[in-house]
Amino acid sequence: MQLTIDKRSVVARKGEYLLEVAQRNGIEIPALCHHPAVEPWGGCRLCMVEITHPDWKGWTGLVTACLYPVQDGLIVSTDTKKVHQVRAGVLDLLLARCPGSSLIQNLARQYGIEETSFTPRKAPDLCILCGLCIRICEKIGASAISSIGRGVEKLVSVPYETVATAACVGCLSCANICPTGAIAFSESEHCRTIWSRNFELVRCEECKAVIGTPEQLEHFARRSGLDRSYFTKCDSCRNREAAARFVRVTF
Amino acid sequence: MHLTSPEALKRLKSQLVRQRKENKSVITVCAGTGCVACGCAAVSAAFREALKENHLEEKVEIKTTGCHGFCERGPLVVMRPEGIFYQRVKPADAKQIVEKTIKQGKVIEKLLYRDPQTKQLLTYEKDIPFYNKQERLIFGMNGHMDPTSIQDYITLGGYQALGRVLVSVHPDEVIEEVKKSGLRGRGGGGFSTGRKWASCRQAEGEPKYIICNADEGDPGAFMDRSLLEGNPHAVVEGMIIGAYAIGSHDGYVYVRNEYPLAVKNLNIALAAAREYGLLGADILGSGFSFDITVSRGGGAFVCGESTALMASLEGKIGEPRAKYIHTVECGLWEKPSTLNNVETWANVPTIIEKGADWYRKIGTENSKGTKVFALTGKVNNTGLVEVPMGIPLREIIFDIGGGILDGRAFKAVQTGGPSGGCLPESALNLPVDFDTLTEAGSMMGSGGLIVMDDRTCMVDVAKYFIHFLLEESCGKCVPCREGLRQLHEMLEEISRGEGGVGTLDGIERLCSVMEQGSLCALGRSAPNPVMSTLRYFRDEYLAHLEAHRCPAGVCKALINYSVIEENCTGCVVCKRACPAEAITGEKNQVHKINSEICTRCGICLAVCKFDAILVE
Amino acid sequence: MTLPRAPLQQILTKYPPKESSLIMVLQDVQDAYRHLPLELLVEVAKALEVPKAKVIAVATFYKAFSLEPKGEVEIRVCRGTACHVRGGLLIMDEFKRLLGIEEGETTSDGKYTLEAVNCVGTCAMAPVVVVNDTYYGSMTVNKLNRILRATKSSKTADAAREETE
Repeated sequence: MQLTIDKRSVVARKGEYLLEVAQRNGIEIPALCHHPAVEPWGGCRLCMVEITHPDWKGWTGLVTACLYPVQDGLIVSTDTKKVHQVRAGVLDLLLARCPGSSLIQNLARQYGIEETSFTPRKAPDLCILCGLCIRICEKIGASAISSIGRGVEKLVSVPYETVATAACVGCLSCANICPTGAIAFSESEHCRTIWSRNFELVRCEECKAVIGTPEQLEHFARRSGLDRSYFTKCDSCRNREAAARFVRVTF
Repeated sequence: MHLTSPEALKRLKSQLVRQRKENKSVITVCAGTGCVACGCAAVSAAFREALKENHLEEKVEIKTTGCHGFCERGPLVVMRPEGIFYQRVKPADAKQIVEKTIKQGKVIEKLLYRDPQTKQLLTYEKDIPFYNKQERLIFGMNGHMDPTSIQDYITLGGYQALGRVLVSVHPDEVIEEVKKSGLRGRGGGGFSTGRKWASCRQAEGEPKYIICNADEGDPGAFMDRSLLEGNPHAVVEGMIIGAYAIGSHDGYVYVRNEYPLAVKNLNIALAAAREYGLLGADILGSGFSFDITVSRGGGAFVCGESTALMASLEGKIGEPRAKYIHTVECGLWEKPSTLNNVETWANVPTIIEKGADWYRKIGTENSKGTKVFALTGKVNNTGLVEVPMGIPLREIIFDIGGGILDGRAFKAVQTGGPSGGCLPESALNLPVDFDTLTEAGSMMGSGGLIVMDDRTCMVDVAKYFIHFLLEESCGKCVPCREGLRQLHEMLEEISRGEGGVGTLDGIERLCSVMEQGSLCALGRSAPNPVMSTLRYFRDEYLAHLEAHRCPAGVCKALINYSVIEENCTGCVVCKRACPAEAITGEKNQVHKINSEICTRCGICLAVCKFDAILVE
Repeated sequence: MTLPRAPLQQILTKYPPKESSLIMVLQDVQDAYRHLPLELLVEVAKALEVPKAKVIAVATFYKAFSLEPKGEVEIRVCRGTACHVRGGLLIMDEFKRLLGIEEGETTSDGKYTLEAVNCVGTCAMAPVVVVNDTYYGSMTVNKLNRILRATKSSKTADAAREETE
């Protein structure tokens, strides 16, 4: 089907969402809680766009691009006054929540905000509650972190932080997907620390690069059905080996 | 008893009606949660005792019924068939009622209701203004039946609509009838019920689910609770008819756990309906099967929102999701689902029984039928009132409600719960329906009407609602979560007299972001309490900001308590009650309040019997 | 201290072992143990095959649940709109003073828990206080002491109510 985004005609498939179509066509829409690895969520409200349709008798609406299903003939504007106002308002609020986040500072600046007009949060951290960490952890299958509480008191954590039965495998997916760097971790020679828990490190048999924690590799082996021995080398060493095998077989 | 055909149901009804005629007097004791709170259980027990003493157990029946609506006057007792109405009945009165009214046919004056306006004593329920202006389509049965008795419901004609539909009406015709009736969702949205059903019937995917939203979270609304407590079968029958029309075999009732009596009576009703062959497999021998599961909510206002409610039914946290794909297509477990509120379902049997044409005659052009309101706050007659759509607010508040408490001045009426707004005197002549209330900046919501007098501060009311929402926001989206935090902060400032007039512009800008940017209806309508009070009571905001005054004498930072010397008798009651020990003065001498120490807790005002405390 | 497991086992047999039973199970656990002990949540998670993290998310999202034990006497002050405009805040303040605890807290002897509750739906009798399962309508600050006294003796609800009138 065909739709128009910012006066450009673009092609989309049924079942796609506006944001992915826009991104594929190089049209930039800011989004904080979106990542292609996980299902769209609609929490940050930054990807708001204005839509209308020739059949809608002039009616327009503000929708989140990440969750709005494409529709033939849809006319999408990503930079109207209304869109600008809502995005600026959201960033102003986020800046009050996380004044120390350089990502939020930079985005806010693009919308003309140098300083928040609201009261900054007391003792702020960097978490914008975009939920990406929870969703990626669920997707990977560990489901070790969750939201705790609700509303303004909500936070993200590993329940039973101190209990040894926590489901965290120390894979760092949450820390890596976090857009504001709110999830702290550290790594030394033999130890990785995340969510106040220490994990041993497993290194590649060949090049000695870090390939993960024993729990993580165990978890991946179980999830993928592959043998645990598959996870003894790092990706690049495995690829190199595979390439060498490929060369031997073909030539 | 297992009924296997609609004819068997009809026969049972005739049999029950015959039996009932042979019965003599009935003492109906209201046992809604309101009357339970006033001790009606002891009243019923006292009646039982008194009847026994007089050897009348066989001749007189005691019926504990659901809520009659006039909660202010509870415990309520109505003597039927005469309809003699006794109010504020104490257990000690039971003996006298049996001896005088039952045995001698005499009316006991001290238990009658006195019309506060005409000062007349009124004997019969039908003469009481609180009742006679109402039109009780949905609530009518409440005072006449024991909600735990399916036989009572059947005697009053219950389940006949279902019986007829199952054998002789095609599902499409049922939907047509509901569409034609003009019924709109009573939970607040006001969406056409018939159209919703039609979309769900047409939607692809199996199974389809029927859901009853009984998560009545709006503070100040309790009609759904009273319906489930007092007439659960009407809701169940409505759901079965809806399921038949849509083609669903699984239903859920999501009910607040704070309503234990509603849960209990609903479960009793479901068990009885199953026993009678009205629910479960092969209903009334028609081949159609449908059953209902009761799910108790965990206590989250946001779960009144349909997608959050569905998430909660699935066992998840109650976070709403975008509804760009409607729940009638992709709802509970991503299957087509029809969700209606308790009152909407309860309307269905009546519409089917009496027909859409009859139903359409009640109400206004675009809002048909009746609406149940919970009339509360600073009004004389508090309780549940069911009125035809289109009745002016003034009639509800002054005629049915009997005017403002303590003869004070009307200031505002809050409608629609936390998503609604406050309407001033000038809006009192508006006909109450979905569209006029929305135009006036408020909304129908689930039907709470909270009356406020001149001692209610509108800044405080706005702050109250924003605080409520702040605690109830699920926290998923930024505008709602962070916006409410900031909005509350700003209102706090105003109530302390801080901030400049610019604060109001800031509030309006923020409200617009929340309205347009929030994910669900909770966030999108959250600014309403603020915007409506700003629209109609801007002066009061300015008084806080510019003159540092709270004209209603509510906002603690801006008021002072003092003793009115002429009125003070020196009784030391306030002095003893003051937790801050801010009151001085010997017995029989005028007291004094030290405003340095005074915490403005208001206890002195509450305990003073001589109107000697001044707040300004 | 290990908790008795029998009530939990009984609760788990009442519901199908799947995610949609979670909230109902937690409600029954809350009733039976007056809170949601972490060690039991682990078992609930296992029994219903729901990740522990999700159980915690649910247990902390809904108001009905508490991870800390609640007092023998739960005092719930309604903060519905009708109660608010009829002086519900004063009632809360006075309870705080009388019990020496803040909203949401439990007295150190484990006797009382003080909570604000969203509209209990008896708005016509505002302001309302619910003590365990007993409703008290038309409350004023000077009736509160009597309510507390009534909870100390083992009076029936109606007798206790009479006393506050």
